[in-house]
Amino acid sequence: MTIEDSRPSSVQIWSPSDQLPERIRKLREHFYSFDKRKETNEPIAFTTGTEWDELYSFHDWANEPAIYQFLPSIDGTFKAMAVKVDLPEDYWEHGLAMRRAIFFYEAMVHYMPTIILNGELIVGFNFNTALSKSLNKAETKKRNKEMEKWFKEAARLSRLGIGTASAAPGHIIPNYAKVLRIGMKGIVEEYEEIKRGKTSAEHREFIDALILSLEGARDLSLRYAQKAEELAADETDQVRRGELEEIARICRKVPWEPAETFWEALQSLWITHMLVMAAESYPGAGLSHGRWDQYLYPFYRHSIDSGELTREQAKELLECYWIKHNYAYDFQGRLGINQGINSSFGQLITLGGCGPNGEDLTNDLTWLALEVIEEMNLLEPKPNIRLHRNVSQEFLTRVAEILAKAQGSPFLLNFDEHSIEGLVWEGIPREEAWDYGIVGCLENTMQGKDRSGTVDVNINLVKAVELALNDGKDMATGEQVGPRTGDPLTFKSYEQFLHAVETQLKALIKLLVDCGAKADTLRAKYQPTPYLSALMDGCAERGKDVNEGGTDWNFITLEGMGIATLADSVAAVKKMVYEDKRLTMDKLMKAIHANYEGYEDVRQLLKTRAPKFGNDDDYADEVARHLSTFWAKETFKHKSPYTGRRFRAGYLSWNYYVPLAPLTAATPDGRRRGEFMSGGVGAVQGMDKKGPTASIRSVGKLGLETVPNGASHTITLSPSMVRTPEHIQKLAALLRAYIEAGGTALQTNIIDAATLRAAQKDPDAYSNLLVRVTGYNAYFTQIGRELQEEIIARTEHSL
Amino acid sequence: MSVHGLITNIQRTSTEDGPGIRTTVFLKGCPLRCEWCHNVEAIDPKPQLVWHGQKCIGDQACIRTCPEHALTLTREGMVIDREMCTVCGSCAEACPTTAMELIGERWNAEDLVEELARDSVFFTTSGGGVTLSGGETLYQPEFAIAVARGLKERGIHVALDTCGYYSEKVLRSILPYVDLVLYDLKIMDSEKHRKHTGVPNERILSNARVLAEVSIPTWIRTPVIPGYTDDDDNIRAIAQFIKDNMPNVERYDLLAFNNMCVDKYEMLGKRYALKDAALMDKKTMERLSRIAREIGVPNVQRSGMTREEGKIVRIPQMEAG
Repeated sequence: MTIEDSRPSSVQIWSPSDQLPERIRKLREHFYSFDKRKETNEPIAFTTGTEWDELYSFHDWANEPAIYQFLPSIDGTFKAMAVKVDLPEDYWEHGLAMRRAIFFYEAMVHYMPTIILNGELIVGFNFNTALSKSLNKAETKKRNKEMEKWFKEAARLSRLGIGTASAAPGHIIPNYAKVLRIGMKGIVEEYEEIKRGKTSAEHREFIDALILSLEGARDLSLRYAQKAEELAADETDQVRRGELEEIARICRKVPWEPAETFWEALQSLWITHMLVMAAESYPGAGLSHGRWDQYLYPFYRHSIDSGELTREQAKELLECYWIKHNYAYDFQGRLGINQGINSSFGQLITLGGCGPNGEDLTNDLTWLALEVIEEMNLLEPKPNIRLHRNVSQEFLTRVAEILAKAQGSPFLLNFDEHSIEGLVWEGIPREEAWDYGIVGCLENTMQGKDRSGTVDVNINLVKAVELALNDGKDMATGEQVGPRTGDPLTFKSYEQFLHAVETQLKALIKLLVDCGAKADTLRAKYQPTPYLSALMDGCAERGKDVNEGGTDWNFITLEGMGIATLADSVAAVKKMVYEDKRLTMDKLMKAIHANYEGYEDVRQLLKTRAPKFGNDDDYADEVARHLSTFWAKETFKHKSPYTGRRFRAGYLSWNYYVPLAPLTAATPDGRRRGEFMSGGVGAVQGMDKKGPTASIRSVGKLGLETVPNGASHTITLSPSMVRTPEHIQKLAALLRAYIEAGGTALQTNIIDAATLRAAQKDPDAYSNLLVRVTGYNAYFTQIGRELQEEIIARTEHSL
Repeated sequence: MSVHGLITNIQRTSTEDGPGIRTTVFLKGCPLRCEWCHNVEAIDPKPQLVWHGQKCIGDQACIRTCPEHALTLTREGMVIDREMCTVCGSCAEACPTTAMELIGERWNAEDLVEELARDSVFFTTSGGGVTLSGGETLYQPEFAIAVARGLKERGIHVALDTCGYYSEKVLRSILPYVDLVLYDLKIMDSEKHRKHTGVPNERILSNARVLAEVSIPTWIRTPVIPGYTDDDDNIRAIAQFIKDNMPNVERYDLLAFNNMCVDKYEMLGKRYALKDAALMDKKTMERLSRIAREIGVPNVQRSGMTREEGKIVRIPQMEAG
């Protein structure tokens, strides 16, 4: 086969299949016309109307330092545009959770528009909100004072390049399976039962708040039913009228009643899910479905077996459901095509994976979902496929085939055996851990009973080297950040140097954990989310909101940036200064303080002669393993005192290695200030020279069981790797080997540097070109030169 | 007593040198002098010193280190006095950037086996293994046999990529440790073979018959080089030879010429006859495959980049090796 055959244009690749039914094609076009269409899911702000009302919480968004300067104006804008909600007279007499529940109920049931699009079969349109925090004057004053204190510290840590500390919503898997199975009505019955056993008035009111929130979902659905009936009455097309009548019937039934048919299950799931985004005022980021193909399967089976649906009809319903998730992006839509959707929110769907005895649980719905993914080519929902030892060769080959055909990565792969070890390590019983799901990008989380707080707190691991080489002081500002670990010129041995790095790591973890705990406390005290709490196991029983640590498992994840840069830096000092003595500490320090200007020979020596993580080089990999397990275990010692949530480690670097780069001094691996740090658990850009198998083995040596969140690992493959069926089998074999030898999560970019260069030169021709950047998709032509260069610079494993 | 040998490179995740995911090791030294050689750095059996201009930062650590004073940095670049240079490698060791490079790493067989076995899990899942290549693998017969035996003892699938030019005895002594032979048949006309590769082909053809006699699975490979091996008659003759003599052949690969090795020639200061040659035309490759198929050769495959009429395909730069 020739190279031309294997490289169709990007436009062809990222367009939908021409097999899509007319209905779906039109709905897909509707979404993509967000710069022109009249229906929009831009956020609607709702206020109690008090002069002190707050609609916005900085801690929800504080993991994104790029927007810190805009936070006050976003807050102001929401307040200015907010719709006042009429509230009952006794509103202010209730506890905060109940006030939030009443507010949510009133806004959804009396103010939220109910739009049904032409042709759609699954309904529920507007869900982006900015809801009043429903605080009274005294609470507002206290909250804002505490928030100011926390934000001052968060901004300082961000400014110093230490990291970020937030309490981000989303990143959770509500117990949707239970809603489908017993209906919200069934959940309410359980809560009434629990309430009967509780004597505290506060506890009882809290449970009432959960119940009222669920009634909000019921009553909003009834409004959609009514809307569908109105449309049906005016509908001249017989077929469409029938559909609208069926939609009305279904919306009168679910999510309140248990679902029976596949259509009912999808409608129930969508409304339940979209209202979590509405309740948290957070558009989709990380709010995930869990093992979707498992809990939906009985409904699919029922509808197929009863002859009520053909497989094709089920697929069309599924496609209608699929598109809905993308409207999360409407809040960015006015920026125009592409720019509006330049990052992925990560409403994840977990597919496949093992059962309690390691058996494979893929089913026909899993396969059907793969067809939909392939034919729809949409950003949301994002599928994650769980692979494990007993996955069938047929399924694995299909996965490899889709990866091979797509540019960028249509889904991410999570590896059960290694993921489960991490969950067991953090305390989840082994007999439950097999049933984990995935949130956000790749973060392992239990379903329906775990707020794992992924991406809440993010640490720049590389900073520890900077501090260890500068007696605890930030090199740019001279600010004393960590403890005084001494002048590096006095370090007599590698052990002394390593100890200084470890001491600084501990100090950095402490700074971020303390700041993260402040954000966590703020949210716990002032931002209950009764609707989400109603969907999380244990909250009703404990009388505690999910944000207070009310569910069964409660973690805050500290995501580590730059482990390879850290490891390479420490390995370089170990080898070059203390073992081979090719460099004195004095000269190294001079070179680093000069940012290697005038020390090109030193920089080159460090870059080319020191061992590098990512090459299956035991020397570098051992240093990396030591540092990785060290900081991960150190992190696990900490808890957020107010909520009791325990900190755990993760490697999801998002794009932090870009903004942190100028804030981090030159490092002993030969990196200059401003050059990017490594992403996820990948090697430093361009330093993994031995191909994907070596890179996979290095990652496999990191001791990732101490990193329960999981670790982002990207390999970029040239299209030549997958140009024939024989090569696709080799890719499948590579994935099977990853199950044994690799880490917890892998994404593949099958794209070559030449294509990316061409896209830089002619952005218009490649406006559709998607690439995957540590767990999310981005339009390559819109991500800015810096990140473009970074993607090109990553080693392209030419095969 | 351990056996030592020289290699130029170890390439992991190799997907083009036999079945599955493989690690390919390139041994140094070759009896042939093919004009189109792609691994020109592996021809000379001795270590070679080379200078990479684009990596040099002019710090002259090499010049200061050289015990023979064999190096001079001129406007045109580094001049290596090959008369004075003993290829001791001190300059390469001193160079901070790897601009001075010693091609040819000395390994003992046990350590090399250990290194090559690193990707065993990938070999298992993919049906891959290790491919011994070069240069000519059997130019260092004792070393090659020791490595093949060591791999075999670990249960690793071994492919021997070879030109076939050595004594029958050498071939027979390695075969017990080999699972698959990747065997080159380049030109059937012996005189032309001698002209373009430096040796006649009778011995190669007779060794091919040895492979058939011991029934070892074999893939025949023909590099399709414009003006050298790409005429219909040549491919027809090779195919006929396979059909008539080699029932053990499982696959026939036609490997289209490319120009990616041009920099290696420059680096070694060698002239490259095919410097400006165009890629093979897609239609020609298709025709040649058809010819081989029609003669009755099983499993004819073609690979490599080709051009279509009026279209120029740019060749991406790849790492040497």
